[in-house]
Amino acid sequence: MLRMPAFTLQQPASVDEAVRMRAELDSLYLAGGTDLLVNLKHHLQRPAHVIDLRGLPGLDGIEVGADAIRIGALTPLATVERDARVRDIVPGLAEAVASIAGPQHREMGTLGGNVMLDTRCLFYNQTEAWRTALGKCLKADGDWCHVIGSPKACVAAQSSDSVPMLTALGAVLELRTAPGEVREVALADLFTKDGRYDRMHTVPRESLLEAIRIPRPAAGHRSTYRKVRSRQAVDFPQLGVAVAATFDGRTCTAVEIVLGALLPSPRQLPTLDEAIGVEWTDAVVEAVADRVRRFARPQRSIHGDPAWRRHLAGVETRRAMLYLRP
Amino acid sequence: MIVNGEKVEADCPDHWTLLELLRYRAGLTGAKQGCDKGDCGACTVLVDGKPTLACCTLAKTVRGEVTTIEGLATPDGPHPLQRAFDACGALQCGFCQTGMILSAKALLDRNPSPDDAEIRQALSGNLCRCTGYTKIVEAVKKAATTQVSLPQKLGPAAEGFHVVGARGRKADAIGKATGTTQYTDDLVRPRMAHGRILRSPHAHARIRSIDTSRAAALEGVFAVIVGSELPTPYCVIPWTPDETALATDKVRYVGEGVAAVAAVDEDTAIRALALIEVDYEVLSAVLTPDEALATDAPRVHESDWKGRERRDNVCKEVVLEFGDVDAALGSAAATVQGHWSYAGSTHGAIEPHCALAEWDADGRLTLWSATQVMHYLHRELARQLDVPESKVRVVQPAIGGAFGGKSEPFDLEICAALLAKKAGRPVKILYTREEVFYAHRGRHPMEFDFRISADADGRITAVDNDIVLDGGAYHSFGLVTTYYAGQLLPGPLRFGTYRFRSRRVYTNKPCCGPKRGHGSVQPRFPLETAIDELAAQLGLDPIEIRRINAMESGETTVNGQLVPSTGILACLDAVEAGSDWKARHGKLPFGRGLGVATSMYISGTAYPIYPNDMPQSGVQIRADRSGRITVFSGTNDIGQGSSATLAWIVAEELGCDPDDVHVVSGDTQLCPVDLGAYSSRVTYMAGIAAREAGQALRAKIMAAVAEHWGTTASRVVVEPGRLRHAEEDRQVGFVDALRLAESRYGVLGSTGGYKTTKKLGGDYRGGTIGASPAYSATAHVAEVDVDPDTGIVKLVNLWAAHDCGRAINPTLVEGQIEGSVHMGLSEALYEHHDFYLEGRERGLHRGPSLLDYRIATALDTPPIAASIVESLDPGGPYGAKEAGEGPLHPAIPAIANAIHDAVGIRLRTMPFTPDRILAALEA
Repeated sequence: MLRMPAFTLQQPASVDEAVRMRAELDSLYLAGGTDLLVNLKHHLQRPAHVIDLRGLPGLDGIEVGADAIRIGALTPLATVERDARVRDIVPGLAEAVASIAGPQHREMGTLGGNVMLDTRCLFYNQTEAWRTALGKCLKADGDWCHVIGSPKACVAAQSSDSVPMLTALGAVLELRTAPGEVREVALADLFTKDGRYDRMHTVPRESLLEAIRIPRPAAGHRSTYRKVRSRQAVDFPQLGVAVAATFDGRTCTAVEIVLGALLPSPRQLPTLDEAIGVEWTDAVVEAVADRVRRFARPQRSIHGDPAWRRHLAGVETRRAMLYLRP
Repeated sequence: MIVNGEKVEADCPDHWTLLELLRYRAGLTGAKQGCDKGDCGACTVLVDGKPTLACCTLAKTVRGEVTTIEGLATPDGPHPLQRAFDACGALQCGFCQTGMILSAKALLDRNPSPDDAEIRQALSGNLCRCTGYTKIVEAVKKAATTQVSLPQKLGPAAEGFHVVGARGRKADAIGKATGTTQYTDDLVRPRMAHGRILRSPHAHARIRSIDTSRAAALEGVFAVIVGSELPTPYCVIPWTPDETALATDKVRYVGEGVAAVAAVDEDTAIRALALIEVDYEVLSAVLTPDEALATDAPRVHESDWKGRERRDNVCKEVVLEFGDVDAALGSAAATVQGHWSYAGSTHGAIEPHCALAEWDADGRLTLWSATQVMHYLHRELARQLDVPESKVRVVQPAIGGAFGGKSEPFDLEICAALLAKKAGRPVKILYTREEVFYAHRGRHPMEFDFRISADADGRITAVDNDIVLDGGAYHSFGLVTTYYAGQLLPGPLRFGTYRFRSRRVYTNKPCCGPKRGHGSVQPRFPLETAIDELAAQLGLDPIEIRRINAMESGETTVNGQLVPSTGILACLDAVEAGSDWKARHGKLPFGRGLGVATSMYISGTAYPIYPNDMPQSGVQIRADRSGRITVFSGTNDIGQGSSATLAWIVAEELGCDPDDVHVVSGDTQLCPVDLGAYSSRVTYMAGIAAREAGQALRAKIMAAVAEHWGTTASRVVVEPGRLRHAEEDRQVGFVDALRLAESRYGVLGSTGGYKTTKKLGGDYRGGTIGASPAYSATAHVAEVDVDPDTGIVKLVNLWAAHDCGRAINPTLVEGQIEGSVHMGLSEALYEHHDFYLEGRERGLHRGPSLLDYRIATALDTPPIAASIVESLDPGGPYGAKEAGEGPLHPAIPAIANAIHDAVGIRLRTMPFTPDRILAALEA
């Protein structure tokens, strides 16, 4: 059996205690465990302590307020997926969450865990023995990126299905960065361009995600998430396309498109002027889809021919837009 | 923690998972270890009613109440789901089913009347390799909607039979559904140590030295072994012994074993492995047949087992020609030729290999192992450990899927035996999922330069095939595979002339071997797709051209194999009607298509792997006044249900209830020899042995009853549950009849055996390879949706008609068809046992896990319409032939042909991945 290195389990009683432990001990946070424990079995990290967050009170549940939907970080993905309010108000988020892994992963995994998911790479998410045979990589104990064949950067892919959609929805994270200190960070600002575990986020590693806040979309909101994968279950995304738009009648007044599973950060289209203030005619859709295709630069860090995945970025954008257009 | 309503102490290290706690501390072994990391779902338990992966949950973080499969039954009996899985034949090997049942329970608790789509969605995190999910979906629906009653009655038998032909339960299905069935890793012996094997990080390297001293000195380590302690080369095919249990001079693939350790626990064993120092001289490797065949290529083996120098990497070459192929090609009305590539794939049994060895004080070895060839393992263990065969006992506990992947001796079995001897205590070795990929022995990648021609009427006049098999680092069954790739192709379609050249080459990759449809699945791909091209050239319907060429019962193939029975025409009729072919083929909208393909497969190899004149299958029956019949058979029930089949046959002969027939199999000490569960031989060969033994016992019972009645045995008629006088109004119940027999003859028993007696096969060198006493036939029609924008292919429907001769238990036959189709479609669309060829990663497996090696889930598998064709075989038991492997073959070409019907492209490389489809569409 593939085995984890030994560690001491810590079960803090409060968020502040958890953050303090994380800052002071050689440690990692454990939420649903579906990703972290596999990574530990791969010896990608060897923490002396694992901090169990599952017992912390008040970190789960979905509150729908006048201005925002606030989802506690420990809310199981299955709860988010099945929540009628989420499905109604931000349908794209329900779709994205429903597409994550398999049914058991969604019962165990949490939305916070999916947001903070480690980046993935075919040369990284492997056993210790496999990685030893290859030579360790920049992301774990080594000094070389096998994807780009260079020591300069880690391009492991952000592989969360919820992150592109939440980014498109303008989600804000409530992070406990130190005991007594809560910082709000736009999800769009969380990621660096570096895929390494300790460098992928712009916030200190001990930051503990307490909640994800999604501003209530304006009237006329439509959103959808399209996931490219080999099988219809279990697989991580080979590409994720999240589209959130607002329409006034048939005219689009705002749109965000965010791509996942490309680089260490979700890839948000910087401007989409050609799709705003106009009806989404076939010509508009084609123009945007083509731009997204050119914008996407898939790496061989994850499964699937990069050229094919790039082509799919255009196809899935087109399909998402045709699905959303009134 | 509360487990199944009882308090359980989580007295384990902090880093233990819930799965380890349940299995190894709490004795709840119903949750299974399949993939190590949440990719397969076999470890699923419920925590507060939610399906939870126990392998991805730390034991000490569980706060809710845990329900395992053992907790599902009540004092009133098993849960309705457990009953339904049993009754519907939803359990084959049973290994994934405990998790599957718990996922289904969570669904039904949430949604008492789910539809098919909801069931498939809820089960999509539980991989099943045996069933194709069809009967599982049926079972969940049944549990949701109806009471499943007990005792479960047999269905109606075939005309003229008591039991044969009746649907019914599989032996031990309820044990599997309730989690009580024991698999090898469920076994624990007193003082048991845990072994691990150190594996090579290099694809090709010379071992200069190995220093194990630091590992041996580690506290908790009981024994360390290296290759030189097991120097005897071996191979399951005794003519080609090119392998040792651990590498001695060189390592030949990444993952090859070089040393092994037994220690107090796995953590200690792993620490010890890290202390072993191996000094390697890295050599350049050959990873493809092209590289291996290049002039001056490095040689994977410098010499053979007789010490003769090897000049190249070709480990076997066969050239055979039947008729004048060139003349036939020259005068053909239509010809198709080209290059086809078949990708490697692996078995993917959800249970990883596991072995447990123990020696007694008299030097006798017992090895429990997840093996499907107990007898060959028995022989090899005796050689490797240098003990007489009389001192070796091999036991096969329940096995969690095999498919050819457990059909020869493996390093862990031999290493466990030697480690146990040195450690002086039992040693268990359980592969990680990654190690299963390195053990492999899966489907050979093959390259074909293929030509086929037909006359103006569509009759196949010539087939010419130049085949290169990528064998990996050792022989395994390779000698046979090299022949099978050519020898098994003629039939069920008739070839006018035939020539093949088949070359198997060594490469620095894990060794290939037999996977379901050994060696013969691959060449069906060029053949059956090229036939469609021929049909197109000649203006013939694809089914029609196959009818034109269909062999008849009693015909001999062009290469000299007698086919006593074939129902290929009935199979074609069935899939043509099922798919509404005539109205739909060639007429569906762009993107949707139908494709057909056929195949034929052996019912066992005519001759054993090592030449001898002893029975290939033996059965002993013991009976007594209790009415219980015990059947001893050395067969290996690997989930296909061979024990149930034998029970059916014995019950048929004796007239008793099959539930009263208990089959003891999988133990070389208790059972007469059977060669094992390979080459689809069990129903035919062990079936004949069981029938013979049953008839012998029946004769005694009839004679005793006749004597009691003062008549002759010919006046005694056997009926279900009783024996009756043919003319007079006299009868005696079955148990009373047994008492009469036991009184008359003393201890009751009988034996039966099977041996191929008449000469089979062609009269030429190699003519017996591929010879079988009977051949099955199969036809598939696949219906696909091809998305021309993305290239993604979705299999929408698959109709499979299989001629298995007499279906002794149709539920089990359907299970074999459905499971075969699932494995075939998964191989066609998703799976690839693939290696990096460039850069620093050269030689590494691309993803030795059940996440990166993609087995189709319940959502990727359509409902499979299996139909049984019974072309009774004159030699088979009651006319029975094989059903376990043949039904896989046509899936791959049928899907390829359907893709052509859908979007007009001819694919000659598989798997049919979306990037390939798009490239072909754009070409």
